[in-house]
Amino acid sequence: MRANFIFSEVWIGLRRNLTMTIAVIVTVAVGMALLGIGLMINSQVSSMTGYWVDKVELSVFLCKKNDVFPACKDKPPLTDDQKAALKQTIQSMPEVERVDFEDQNQAYENFKAQQGNSLLLSVIQPGDLSESFRVKLKNPDNATAVSESIQGQTGVANIVNQRQILDTYFGFLSKLRNMALGVAILMVFAATLLIGNTVRLSAYNRRRETGIMRLVGASNIYIQLPFVMEGVIAGLIGGVFAAVLLIVTKVLLFEGIQSYMAVPLGWNTVAGVITFTMAVGVVICVLASFITLRRYLRV
Amino acid sequence: MIHFDNVTKVYTNQNRPALDHVSVDVDKGEFVFLVGPSGSGKSTFLRLVLKEERPNSGAIHVAGKELSRLSNFKVPHLRRRIGCVFQDFRLLPNKNVYENVAFALEVIGKPRRFIRKVVPEVIELVGLEGKAHRMPDELSGGEQQRVAMARAFVNRPMILLADEPTGNIDPATSIGIMKVLDRINRTGTTVLMATHDAAIVDSMRKRVVELEDGKIVRDQSRGVYGQAY
Repeated sequence: MRANFIFSEVWIGLRRNLTMTIAVIVTVAVGMALLGIGLMINSQVSSMTGYWVDKVELSVFLCKKNDVFPACKDKPPLTDDQKAALKQTIQSMPEVERVDFEDQNQAYENFKAQQGNSLLLSVIQPGDLSESFRVKLKNPDNATAVSESIQGQTGVANIVNQRQILDTYFGFLSKLRNMALGVAILMVFAATLLIGNTVRLSAYNRRRETGIMRLVGASNIYIQLPFVMEGVIAGLIGGVFAAVLLIVTKVLLFEGIQSYMAVPLGWNTVAGVITFTMAVGVVICVLASFITLRRYLRV
Repeated sequence: MIHFDNVTKVYTNQNRPALDHVSVDVDKGEFVFLVGPSGSGKSTFLRLVLKEERPNSGAIHVAGKELSRLSNFKVPHLRRRIGCVFQDFRLLPNKNVYENVAFALEVIGKPRRFIRKVVPEVIELVGLEGKAHRMPDELSGGEQQRVAMARAFVNRPMILLADEPTGNIDPATSIGIMKVLDRINRTGTTVLMATHDAAIVDSMRKRVVELEDGKIVRDQSRGVYGQAY
C-alpha cells in the first residue's frame, strides 16, 4: 500500500469537488454540533436530577392568622399542641423519613437568603410568612400519595412539592435537547445524501483511472480507498468545526447559566461528547461513501 | 493457459447467446487470432477470460484456475497476470508516457525502486525510447498504442489480450504494432488478439480461431483471415 499515491488521489478528488466538499463539511459540522449540544444538555439534566432528587422535600404550609387559603377559612391557627400532634401524624406515615418544623423566623431567614436585598424583602415581615413542616420522603416518587393524605389534616394551608418545580425546569431542558437531537438527525440525513452525491461525482470524474486500475488488477481496497478517504477527511474537518462550536457553546452558554444549574458541566463531559460526535461523523462518512461506491463503482 | 469448456454466455434481455457452447484450448506461449464479424462474440470471449462477465454454463480455466471458483477478491490477482490492450488505447490524458506506464504498477502497490527500473525497460521494448516525458496528445495513434502495450506488459503478464489493437491505426503503423506484439509473444507471453484486419492475420501466419454467431467455425494453426479468399 502506498500512502503517497492514495493521498495524492484524495487531494485531487477533494479539489475537483471543492463546492461539494465544503457543503459536506458544513453539514457535518452543524449536524455534529447539534448532536453534541443535545448530548451535553442530556448529561447536564441527568447530573442535575441526581443532585436535586436527594434534596427534594414536600413543604407543608400551615395556616396563619387571617390566611386566604380556602382550607384555612374561618379557622384559627393551630396551637402548639395541635402542631406537635400533626407532626406526630406525619412522622408516623411509613413513606416519611424525617419531618422538620420551620417557624416564621426561620422562614424569614431563608427568604432573606434567597432574595438578597430585593424590594420584596423590605415589605415582608416574619409574621407574613407561614410556618411549615419540611417533609423528607424515603422515595420522592411517592410524593403525591403522601401530600394527598396530609392535605386533609386541619390547619394545613397548602402543600408544595418541590419536585414539580424542578420537573417544569427539566421538562424545558428536555424539550431543548429533543429539538437539538431532531435537527441533528435531519442534518445527518442531509450529510449522508451529500456525501453520497460527492462520491458519485468523484467516481464519475475518475472513471478512466478506476477503469484502468480495475484492468491492471488493483485490489478493491486500492480503488475504493481514495473515495472513502475523501469522505473521511471531509467528515473529520466537519468534526473539528463541530468541536470548536461545542467548546464555544460550553464557554458562552453553559458557563453563563451555570449559577442556576448547581452542577457545572465539566470539561471531561465536553471532551467525551466531542470524541463521540467526531466518531459518529466519520462513521457516517465512511458508511455513506461505501454504500454509494457499491452502486457507482463496479469493481 | 486458457481453456474454455463448453462455455455459453447469454446477456440478459437477449435471446441469442453471445457465445454458444464454445470449447477451445490455448497453450502457453501461443499467438492466437480471434476473428469474425462484429457481434460474433470476440469481445465476450476476452471479457470472460478477464472474469468481467460470468458464463451461463461451462467452465473457464485461466492460468490454471477455474474462474467460477475464484472468489471476487482474488479477481484482481488474476488480472495482474493478464495484460489488456484496446482499440481506443485508454491512456490517462493528464499523465505522460512514463507516468501512464508506471500507474499500472503503482496501483498494485509495487515499490518505487522497482518501478523506476522496469518502466524505462518496457518503454524501450515498445520502441518509445526518448519519448517518456511526452503527453498522450503529443503522440501519434501508433505511439499511443505502444504506450498502452507497454502498460499492459510492464507487469510481465502470462497472457496479453488485445481487442482490435490496430482498429484505429493505419496499415503501415499497424505493422509496427504487430512487431511489438510478436516481440512480447517471444518472451513467452500468450497473446490473444481479436481483430478484423485480414492483411495482418494473413501476414502473421499464426493460429486463427474464427467465431460466427457465438460458435467456433474454424480453428486453424498457421491460418489466414478468411478461407474463401
